[in-house]
Amino acid sequence: MPEAALLSVKDLVKVFPSREGKELRAVDGVSIDVRRGSTFGLVGESGSGKSTLSRCILRLLRPDAGTVSFDGQDMASMSAARVRRLRSRIQVVFQDPHGSLNRSKAVSDIVGAPLAAHRSGNRAARSARVAELLDLVQLPAAMAARKPRELSGGQAQRVAIARALALNPDFVVLDEAVSALDVSVRAQILNLLRELQGELGLTYLFISHDLGVVRYISQDIAVMYRGRIIEVGPREQLFAAPQHPYTRLLLDAVPIADPSRQRARMRLLGEQTGASDRPDLPDDAGCRFRSRCPVGADRERCATEDPRLEPHAAGGTLAACHYAGEIS
Amino acid sequence: MAESGTISVPTAARRRRVTLRIPPISVLLLLIIVLMCVFAPLVTPFGPNDVDPAHPFAAASGQHWLGTDELGRDLLTRLLYGGRLSLTVCAGSVVIAFLIGTIWGVSAAERRGFVEEILMRTADVTMAIPQILFALVCVAAFGASLLSLTVITGLLLAPTSARMARSVTIQETSLDYYSAGIAYGAGKIRLLTREVFPNILPALASQAVINAASAMILEASLSFVGLGVQPPQMSWGVLLQQGYGFLYNDPTYAVAPAVLILVTVFCLNLAANRLGSTRHRKVVRP
Repeated sequence: MPEAALLSVKDLVKVFPSREGKELRAVDGVSIDVRRGSTFGLVGESGSGKSTLSRCILRLLRPDAGTVSFDGQDMASMSAARVRRLRSRIQVVFQDPHGSLNRSKAVSDIVGAPLAAHRSGNRAARSARVAELLDLVQLPAAMAARKPRELSGGQAQRVAIARALALNPDFVVLDEAVSALDVSVRAQILNLLRELQGELGLTYLFISHDLGVVRYISQDIAVMYRGRIIEVGPREQLFAAPQHPYTRLLLDAVPIADPSRQRARMRLLGEQTGASDRPDLPDDAGCRFRSRCPVGADRERCATEDPRLEPHAAGGTLAACHYAGEIS
Repeated sequence: MAESGTISVPTAARRRRVTLRIPPISVLLLLIIVLMCVFAPLVTPFGPNDVDPAHPFAAASGQHWLGTDELGRDLLTRLLYGGRLSLTVCAGSVVIAFLIGTIWGVSAAERRGFVEEILMRTADVTMAIPQILFALVCVAAFGASLLSLTVITGLLLAPTSARMARSVTIQETSLDYYSAGIAYGAGKIRLLTREVFPNILPALASQAVINAASAMILEASLSFVGLGVQPPQMSWGVLLQQGYGFLYNDPTYAVAPAVLILVTVFCLNLAANRLGSTRHRKVVRP
């Protein structure tokens, strides 16, 4: 990518020990570059490793290999004090709007907590900043005295966003930030996030299992499958000409609002969707998607060689598939 | 009955409010017992060691509400003064158990893995030691005094507090507000003391009240077998033991302290139950 990335992840690996002594490679060699001022969408089914990746970026987990560099600085080689300073520039909004707010605190304390933790300003300056932040996320000032249980899901998520913005971050990780919300509220929050991005010049890493939502907000999109990125590229190219069969399946799973077109497509898809019922194969040398793959399930090369993420002639994205050209 | 069925919703709502406002009977009873012990000199005209050899084992009367003991001392007066000591041991050991247990359990929850294993297995081993045996060894080593009794009881109760503290801390720190706190750069100590502690306090308080009941029984048992405070100091356990010797002459002598211990323990357990159910109730999401 031409511009310098604000956040750059290289070959990140995070392994969890699982029972029976086996290892679970939750994130297995992932590299992403997030351009300054853009939104990078990360999609994948549950268990694909997207939240583990975000927790490694946030340094809530220590990666086992690979680097995370923010604004050109490698976070792994940093002292604890510098990581702490850097934390004010990277913030997070989680999925569960109520679990991410301390139930015994008032909204004003929750939003002001990052300021207090960094000892920024005196009490009066902080409460002025809290009022400013509530205004920024379009919550009435009267909300400041409320407790989280008195808020709706959408209001609670606005509070979580206000807290994330308290320290004037450059980068916000939105980990399934709208997934728990009603559809109408979700649209409001997505629009709010867009407005804030324009106003404050924020960079987002937007994580979701919902391709439609990711499409709405992201400029670049990566698709994760079992700890790997299997396709990544600009939104338009990814949606216009998906290279990887898994991306295709995901796109086809998004319903079309026109019933006659939807029915026509379902007829075409009939055979392919059945493929997802096949169980996952154990890790071996081959492509890890092949048990569910409508293209390469029986091909020799897919069983013996793990495909690398590389450009293909047919589209503008990088895809990890040997036969990427053949499916579109 | 049929009538109350039709208006069951409003009465249920009203009843819950009322129980929250008026302290329950268990708490009121405890308060009365504590206040009477604390203000014993105002409640009774006698001193705890005022002997009246002319009237040993006097029956209950207007002057001596519970009668007198073998030396003619007023039994009620001795119970009130003895209660001061019993309650002091009880309160002191609960505070010790709370402080040690909370630090113990929260550290274990925070340092998962090796440190946690060591801390919690230590708790298991401590709880497996017979309490009376442990107390016997300690009393032999440090002597039987108010202080040693309080510390021994507190140490014996600390592991239960530690277990409770660990489990509720793990519950809290797995919530996203804790992760968010780490992410915005708050230190762990700050998060634990300012954010987590207020949330786990109701559970810890409830455990502390249960511990108070255990401490009461433990103190009484130790005193009864002669490992508690030594006469002329007295506690309910000591009085129970002295009265036990005259069980057939004067049953009130032994029964009165026994009933007091029983009522106190019972009320403490009820109060702990109440604390656990109203304050530590899971927040229902709307």
